[in-house]
Amino acid sequence: MDILIAVINVLIFLALAPLFEGVVRKLYAKVQSRMGPPIFQPYYDLLKLLGKETLSAGNWAFRIAPMMALASIITAVSLMPLGYTPGFLTQYGDIITIIYLLALGGVSVLLGALSSKNTYAMVGASREMVTMIMVEPVLAMTLILGALKAKSLAIDASIASSLGGSYGFSMVLMLVVFLMALQAFVARQPFDIAEAEVEIMEGPFIEYSGPGLALFKYYMMIKQMFYAALFVAVFVPLVYTGYFFVDVAVQLVGILVVFVLIALLGSTNPRLRIDQAVKYYAILIAASLVAVGLSVYGI
Amino acid sequence: MPGIEEIKSGLNKKFKNAVVAVEEQNPTRLFVDIKSAKVREISNEIIAMGGRYLVSIGCDNISRDGTLGMIHTFGFDKDGIFLSLRTSVPESKPVMDSITPDIPNAGWSEREFMDLLGMKFTGHPKPKRLILADDWPEGVHPLRKDIPWNLMPPAAEDVAYQLDECPEGCSIVPVGPYHPTLHEPAHFAVFVDGETIKGSDYRGFMTHRGIEKLCQTQLTYNEIPFVAERICGICGSVHATSYSQAVELAGGIKISRRAEYIRTIMLEIERVHSHLLWLGVAGHLIGFDTVFMQSWRIREPIMWLGERITGNRKTYGMIVIGGVRRDITPEIKEDILNVIGKVEEELLVVQKAIQGDSAIHRRTKGVGYVSTADTVLWSLVGPVARARNVDIDVRRDYPYAAYDEMKFDVPVFDSNDVWATLLVRLLETFESIKIIRQCLDKMPNDGPILTELEAPIPALKHGLAAVEAPRGEVVHYVITGEKNAPERWRVRAPTYPNLQGVPLMLLGNQLADVPIIIGSIDPCFSCTDRMEIVDLRSGAAKTASRRELEELSRNKR
Repeated sequence: MDILIAVINVLIFLALAPLFEGVVRKLYAKVQSRMGPPIFQPYYDLLKLLGKETLSAGNWAFRIAPMMALASIITAVSLMPLGYTPGFLTQYGDIITIIYLLALGGVSVLLGALSSKNTYAMVGASREMVTMIMVEPVLAMTLILGALKAKSLAIDASIASSLGGSYGFSMVLMLVVFLMALQAFVARQPFDIAEAEVEIMEGPFIEYSGPGLALFKYYMMIKQMFYAALFVAVFVPLVYTGYFFVDVAVQLVGILVVFVLIALLGSTNPRLRIDQAVKYYAILIAASLVAVGLSVYGI
Repeated sequence: MPGIEEIKSGLNKKFKNAVVAVEEQNPTRLFVDIKSAKVREISNEIIAMGGRYLVSIGCDNISRDGTLGMIHTFGFDKDGIFLSLRTSVPESKPVMDSITPDIPNAGWSEREFMDLLGMKFTGHPKPKRLILADDWPEGVHPLRKDIPWNLMPPAAEDVAYQLDECPEGCSIVPVGPYHPTLHEPAHFAVFVDGETIKGSDYRGFMTHRGIEKLCQTQLTYNEIPFVAERICGICGSVHATSYSQAVELAGGIKISRRAEYIRTIMLEIERVHSHLLWLGVAGHLIGFDTVFMQSWRIREPIMWLGERITGNRKTYGMIVIGGVRRDITPEIKEDILNVIGKVEEELLVVQKAIQGDSAIHRRTKGVGYVSTADTVLWSLVGPVARARNVDIDVRRDYPYAAYDEMKFDVPVFDSNDVWATLLVRLLETFESIKIIRQCLDKMPNDGPILTELEAPIPALKHGLAAVEAPRGEVVHYVITGEKNAPERWRVRAPTYPNLQGVPLMLLGNQLADVPIIIGSIDPCFSCTDRMEIVDLRSGAAKTASRRELEELSRNKR
């Protein structure tokens, strides 16, 4: 059963991530008085791209990077206790593993960009790097906060720490910080700086096409859903019935709500410049440090 | 008007030997013939007297008197006078002083005639190729009369434009020739240190159409307005009006008042649509697609209105020499009032949203800063200049069509950045709506809309007309010819001077600001290049009947 839960986890993410992307695109369109693409369009996109010829603009690292990105995010997902039920793999990792795995995804993007030697990719990579350095701490602090509360580095314990009723002011502060960083985690406006279409034409992904691009797109979608799921699991423990599928369903509804939020925020904000964004991230890091500090004193 | 006498006597007194003749065409147009040796001094004197450089016109008089002509034009905005400084140099030694060191905006005009006519300007700071392709043979100057209009020299290999030297420690980010920011081909090499811009070089004119040459040799007076409209996809009526006015001035043709009112309405409808279009593009360029989609939605009824009035959504084909081709009937009048009323209403909401959006402020305030002094020095025009505290507007300063009877404000701001440009354009849209209302109100009900010409247009007369396009002023210069076609026709679109100011605007900004800075001048490379792109994928084209097309577009399928 434990192994089955890990598999179900991965399958849910693989199957639903493009759907949520479709919801976001549809909502964008609604805000902009457009029809928008069908809600299943991201699936068609992926299928189309996967069916294309593989072209390489660099060395082996260029070809490996998309697979590495997707693999790292899938591994992170399989460790994640969806519906607060730990899977078989959860016990083999801790929150440090999760942080590393997510960073590995970002590193893969950098690796692909840098090995393509494209000027725009270089600019995109440098922006991606700055973004990673500045927003990863917020994620780390979120998990560490949970770990402090649960007094354990184990994934399931720290993620579910808020279930224990110790919500507190530090948790509320962290929730706000996480929400504000959410757009940056999922690379949506106003923080889609690394991909900025009009300046650097998708930046790190400019040389990618066909299956490579499909894998990166899939990676981005799953990453998006992962952060939404993390948010729901850590901060919004609505119900905990103990029935696995009910809990999962509740969480999925929560994730959908987060996606609506992402779409609304994204469609009503222009893209920031990297120097402006860095100032913004700096505030978030400071605030998340404060939250962790407070939680040490049990506030 | 006192101004014109002062200018005349001032020039006569100071340059007694150099001024050959002074011709006063009418109280607003002055033509001064001078000897070529003093061109730089006299130009400086005109600038000192309060003149603003517009454009230079080179022309080929070799068959008549063996010279190459050069005409520098200036505008006195306070007095409403256009001055043309005419000079010529012998073909055997086509050298004259460059005025670029003092008037930087003349740089392109002079480079253009180095390429096209083979003139030489001593003291030009950047005598590189501007218009001709890099593989065009040396010594073939296409604007000379002995070069056929359809000459196609064989392509050469291994020739490339040499970009300006990149400052030390900087790397080059190419923007263009095809880039999502630009929508048209042009190449900006942006020199960046990290993300900060330290300089840039521009190479454009990649798709020069040679419209001026084509019209001088292959077309007649009355056909040219329709080609002029195709110079630009947005400012069609502007170019047609400007060309028609230049010919009317040169030929002494007077058109009816009603036609002038209809021209005014067309020009203002075009401005409303163009400003909305730009607002959308600007939104897209700072990554705010919601602004883009909403302002284009508001713009759509204007396109339908254009179709109701002229039969076309754009490129109206409405304005010809002598007047306009279609009348505005009472029913259409009603339509216009309805549409602009609705647009005004929706635009107010947009204005409120934009002015209150701190995220937009962050992306546009302080971006693309140019000081007011530099704006004057570089002769920037239109909203770009008005956003930098230079109060110029051809509609008010040199009234044409029915603008002498219109009451409107010219918004001017002094924050000298992209944000001010955005505000200028937003507020101007409301002024345009005001002007359209006044036009419909005051328009005389009688009079022909098209005046028939009684006599052929006399040869070798000069005409200069400027029209305020949404992006700035358009200047057309026509020298009439003998064969029912102009001897020389020179077009200067507003992008031509403004694009020369872009390096100035880019300096010291961030790479992420490049799109919105270039976008803020609303660049129309097509106007500058004067070319046209035709899609010829006709191999397996399916012909749809008019009915099918209509169904496709109207039933929103």
